[in-house]
Order: sequence, then structure tokens, then C-alpha cells
Amino acid sequence: MAKNTSSSAFRKIDVDQYNEDNYKEDDCGESQSPPVGPDEKEITNFINQGKNIEALKTVLRNAPISSRNQMVKDAALNVVMQVLLSVKSSQIEEAVNALDRDHLDILMKYIYRGFETPSEGSSGQLLAWHEKVHAVAGVGCIVRVLTDKKRV
Amino acid sequence: MSATLRPYLSAVRSTLEAAMCLENFSSQVVERHNKPEVEVRTSKELLLNPVVISRNEKEKVLIEASINSVRISISIKQADEIEKILCHKFMRFMMMRAENFVVLRRKPVEGYDISFLITNFHTEAMYKHKLVDFVIHFMEEIDKEISEMKLAVNARARVCAEEFLKRF
Repeated sequence: MAKNTSSSAFRKIDVDQYNEDNYKEDDCGESQSPPVGPDEKEITNFINQGKNIEALKTVLRNAPISSRNQMVKDAALNVVMQVLLSVKSSQIEEAVNALDRDHLDILMKYIYRGFETPSEGSSGQLLAWHEKVHAVAGVGCIVRVLTDKKRV
Repeated sequence: MSATLRPYLSAVRSTLEAAMCLENFSSQVVERHNKPEVEVRTSKELLLNPVVISRNEKEKVLIEASINSVRISISIKQADEIEKILCHKFMRFMMMRAENFVVLRRKPVEGYDISFLITNFHTEAMYKHKLVDFVIHFMEEIDKEISEMKLAVNARARVCAEEFLKRF
């Protein structure tokens, strides 16, 4: 039986959330053996020896792309930033040319991630990186940053 | 033009070019409605990752894209009190007249000074590259405009003070 009531709370219920064809984020969690990210010591060694390009390659190869652990990602971001800021502006072009397509995409993701937390002088360097990567990989690289749900 | 302004603007330009791939998309929830998805946020599959481009701690741009709309929020450099006031008043002036500026949003996104909302209808009615040019031009001019206004205010204050102090 319908009851006469002045309550209008039912109007606030979001009925659309019960649709069965709603989009769900696919959490194909590879929770078993999550990648641990780049090894900080190894990278620091490379930087100290002046092998910045080698350091960049290593760090991008070991990026924890599919990890769901934010801590791991933040740690990896710190290492990448360390590498990116240690490369001299004259070396950037050479470093970018040494990378392949997939690694350039990952690098671009890290550049955008780095923009979110600007620190003293980091943005200027990142802008230089962005320009060089864009020159090599084109707009497609940025589109993949925008669309890829696997964030760094 | 200072050392970081040019790479900053070119980074924003290339990101906007990438983000401004918009198409007509009707609401999935309400029939015969057509809403900018970046504002209503009904479904995660329609939104792209938001990106930030920063020149330093104060100056940055937030670009949020979705299937049928893109929202660009700009944070403008404000070095001192007078620039803060000038910027606030100027943005308020423009946002009160937002419908005359077509792509301007009536309220800025939290943490930013001014926002633009570009939908697929705008990209259909106007040239896409011109829209990008407009945003870049706006960013170029706004700093200049505010520092000019600041100079004008200071000059005027000086004249006023001189006139006033003549009496003593």
C-alpha cells in the first residue's frame, strides 16, 4: 500500500548507480608479485659515474606501470625526477633519441607527473624535456598520456 | 619574453592540441540531454587523465579533457598584494560577462584563477587551431596586462599624493 508521506528523501537517491551496464574500472590486479620499481642505488651509481642516459633507460625499463601501490609509484617518481634533473640541458636531445617509443611514452607520463609538484627550478628543466620528447614522439605521445589508465 | 615562457606556452599548446579531440556525445543518463562530461562526471570511462603543466609554483595550467569537452584552468602569477587585487577584480569582471566570451567558465576551478570550458559545439563552430591560439594568446597577454595595470595604479597614486601634499 502506498503511504502518504511528506518526506522527499527518496528523490535524492541516485538510481543510476544500480544500472547493470554501468562502466566499471577493470581491476585486472596482478597483485601477485607486484613490480617493485627501479633500484635507487643502481640509479645513483649510474648518475655518479656520469652515465645519465644509461640511468634513464634503466629507470624507464623498471617503471612500476601496472602496480597499484601509490607508495611504489611515488618512490619511482622521485628516482625519475632525480635522473631527469641531473641530465644537462645539452644532453637532453641525445638522451631522448636513445629511447624507443614505449619508453618515450613512459617518460612523457613522468614529465606530466613531475609538473604536478613543482619545486625550485624543476619546471624549467621539465619544460625542456617536454619540448624534446614532443619533437621526437609527436602529439600521439601526449594523447597516450591523456588516455592511458595505467598511470605512473 | 623570459627564458621559460616560450617552452611553457609551447608545452601548453601541444597538450591542448592533443586534448581537443572532441565529438558530439549525448548524456548516458538523461535522454535528449547533452552535457559537458568534464563537468557532470557521470562516468569514468568518458574522462581522460587530468594533466598539469607548471612554469613555477605559482604559474600553472590544469587541462582536464573528456569525450565532448575540455576544461582549461589557469593560475596566474601574483607577486604582491596589488597584483592579487588587480587579478581578482579583472577575472571577476570577465567572468561576470562570461556569455560574451563564449568559452569562458563562470567560475574558476578550485585553486585556479580563471577557467575555460570548450565543448564540441565550440570546436564545430570555430576553428580548433584558432581556439588553441586564443588560449595561448590569453596566457601571453594576461601577465602583461596585469603588470601594466599595476604600473598605471602606481603612477596614479604618485600623482594623487603629489597633488595632495602640495597643500602643505
